[in-house]
Amino acid sequence: MDLLDLIDAAQSVADGLLFGSTYALLGIGFTLIFGVMHKINLSYAAASIGAAYGSLLLLSGFTAAPAVIVFMAAALCGGVIGALVYFIGFKFIPVANPLATLMSTVGLLLLIDEIIVHTTEGVPLAYPALYSDVVVRLGQFMLRGDLMFVFVLGCACMVLFLLLLYRTRLGIATRAVSQQPIASQLCGISILQVNVLTFVVTGMLGGIAGAMSGAAIGMLSPLLAQPLTVKGLIVTVIGGLGSIPGAIIAGLIVGALESLFQFLRGVTERDLYIMMLLFAFLVFRPGGIFAKAPGRD
Amino acid sequence: MLDLQGIAKHFGGVHAVDGVDLTVKRGEILGLIGPNGSGKSTIVNLVSGLFPLTSGRILFEGDDISDLPSHARVGLGIARTFQNIRLFGQLSVWQNLWVAQNSRQQRQEVFFKRWFGGSAGVQAEIERTLEFFDLAHKRHELAANLSFGEQRRLEFARAISARPNLLLLDEPAAGMNAEEVDQLDARIRKMRDDGFTVLLIEHHVELVMSVADRIAVLNFGRKIAEGPPAAVQDDAAVREAYLGTR
Amino acid sequence: MDFYLGLAQVIGVHTLLGLSAYCVLLTGQVSLAQAAFFAVGAYVAAILTVIFKWHLFAALGVSAVVSGLTACAVGFPALRVKGLMLVVATLAFGEAVRLFFFNFTYQIQAGELKIGPHGAEGFRQIRYFPEHGWSTFDVLMFIWLMVAIVMACLWWLDQSRAGAVMRAVGEDEVAAHSSGINVTAVKVLAMTIGGVIAGIGGGIFAHYTTHIEHVQFGVILATFAIAYPILGGLSNVFGTLLAVIFIQGFLIEGLRFLGDWRNLLFGALIVLAMNLRPRGFLDAGGVASLKRMLFAGKESSGA
Repeated sequence: MDLLDLIDAAQSVADGLLFGSTYALLGIGFTLIFGVMHKINLSYAAASIGAAYGSLLLLSGFTAAPAVIVFMAAALCGGVIGALVYFIGFKFIPVANPLATLMSTVGLLLLIDEIIVHTTEGVPLAYPALYSDVVVRLGQFMLRGDLMFVFVLGCACMVLFLLLLYRTRLGIATRAVSQQPIASQLCGISILQVNVLTFVVTGMLGGIAGAMSGAAIGMLSPLLAQPLTVKGLIVTVIGGLGSIPGAIIAGLIVGALESLFQFLRGVTERDLYIMMLLFAFLVFRPGGIFAKAPGRD
Repeated sequence: MLDLQGIAKHFGGVHAVDGVDLTVKRGEILGLIGPNGSGKSTIVNLVSGLFPLTSGRILFEGDDISDLPSHARVGLGIARTFQNIRLFGQLSVWQNLWVAQNSRQQRQEVFFKRWFGGSAGVQAEIERTLEFFDLAHKRHELAANLSFGEQRRLEFARAISARPNLLLLDEPAAGMNAEEVDQLDARIRKMRDDGFTVLLIEHHVELVMSVADRIAVLNFGRKIAEGPPAAVQDDAAVREAYLGTR
Repeated sequence: MDFYLGLAQVIGVHTLLGLSAYCVLLTGQVSLAQAAFFAVGAYVAAILTVIFKWHLFAALGVSAVVSGLTACAVGFPALRVKGLMLVVATLAFGEAVRLFFFNFTYQIQAGELKIGPHGAEGFRQIRYFPEHGWSTFDVLMFIWLMVAIVMACLWWLDQSRAGAVMRAVGEDEVAAHSSGINVTAVKVLAMTIGGVIAGIGGGIFAHYTTHIEHVQFGVILATFAIAYPILGGLSNVFGTLLAVIFIQGFLIEGLRFLGDWRNLLFGALIVLAMNLRPRGFLDAGGVASLKRMLFAGKESSGA
């Protein structure tokens, strides 16, 4: 491999890292819902794409709304969809039936996807990107403006989110519920409230992630839901279930690896290696990147 | 029969069990008591093989079983109950006992008959156990639908199904009323008379004092006393552990 | 008429797929790898009949064995993890298998044509049935014969101690372990049986569709595989059959007249079904009351 190839490889890793922030946000959402509910919400990535679509729909009256507004609208839609998902897919199913919840979120995944297909007739929509014409050059190396924007936005969301989780009463209540549901109820925390708020907040994150992937790719398509679900789950698991820093780092790693494999082996084989790596990782290090020593129980 | 040689279990920095030597003799009921968090349940989990040992050895009938998996220990004749009942809720009472037939003799049955046949001998054995624990009328009920007392009895019955030589009872009286405790007392005595050896972990001091042949006391993961019930009751270290120093 | 025959074929093959997941779900594991075993079965059987000109029955036997071995090989490492980890691990394995077939080309020259699997284009010209004079009806009969055999075997397994042991592992692994059950062996065995059933199903699937390609074996099929037994309920094999008829017969074919709206209803009805019957259509309580109705007064012996 000569120097030029090396630069190209580094370039693809950099692109992947930047796009990986989308995966990181999705990973945080999956992880947080799992932390609070001890259930997976398979419809999460679909809801995120749905929120991105929703933002377009909300703003369809205005011509060429600025991208910032679009992102905020996506977050708003994400929050609303998140709450809906909780009430439809989680609230009324007994806690003792994890399989039923799993299946109901699969149903929601299909439902959200179909609503999108139905309203758009399956045609991909263009999505506004910011700074798509900006390119930062560093010698041979260049960084795409739109990807950098996505990355910065993703990091900003993560910081905001971590502040919310560690500095506010809601965040403390959320963490309390995820660690000791019964004890926190006895301390006067309403589980219902925390659950709904968790879904709303993660929904907002998801909405932004959906908008980010739309902006990075330049368009939105219902076909995005499935790969994003898979990647989001992978990130959650590699990061270690319930670990937020893990999800962030895993998101970036998966983004970078994906891009690197695409460069090395082509687009058709890219995911094959990701999946094999993941399988090996899961089996030999099931606790995730920041695995702790097994505890007493 | 069971020989614990300097066993220890550390969870991170917590020394749940810290070098305990204990011997259970054939045919006796050994009571193991101690304040909360003194490591009693951890000992049961170590002997039944749910956790690996940090150090020490466990000998059963003279053989080192420290590295055997749980299910193999059941095959050798060590069965247990759980403090927080763990039944197979969606299986019937009868099936709960059926699946637990995993002793060495039971394993020697012809493969096909063992897994796919319901032989008359097996039926009779299960019926006897059901009778002994007063569960015969519930045999088709799902375990999850039983009352609390019945679930405790079923848990006990399931442990017996594997024809163990050594029974580990982890707080079998927890949550029982006085009458149920009396029945339990009678059952444990009957089992000793039938040749079982019992290691009884219990909070209910009256029950232990009444039924145990010997008692060992744990505190902070260490054994602080051992001997006949009366002697242990008068032991200064035991009083201190339970009542605190003055 | 052909439409109904075709539908019955689809239902039969999907029942096999659902039963393979049922078997694994009994031990409490959610595996998204069933579609991969199905794919392995499909490709192996098709390669054997098309390229090596084997008899179908021999090819199906081999595909069942290969699938079963794959499942067994995956089972050992994958079963180190549980719950969501297992879901994602099997998902990753399933996707890896699908992407392997996406990149898999193995063709030979047959007269004018090249035959065999060809990467993204898939594997065309699996013409065993027409070449050997099987009518659609013959194929249908054969499929349902296999379904009946598999269902009978699983039914019998369910009544046996082996079935009870599998369920015990699914209920509480720690308790099962402490009751002397070798949990790992039971789980790997369940996975292997599931693999064998999926292999047979896949082999048949390849031959009646005559054309297989990787996209057919994706996450959606894997999700369907576990959806059937979960929707149908795990108390016995008929729940799975019921769910396949409900999904393939009613939701997919029966609601075709709704056009576009059908797909919308599809997801919504699954959500609704899970809200109303979280233990599936045929849960243990339902079965018990059915039994009481059918065998009133008589006490069934044993299990």
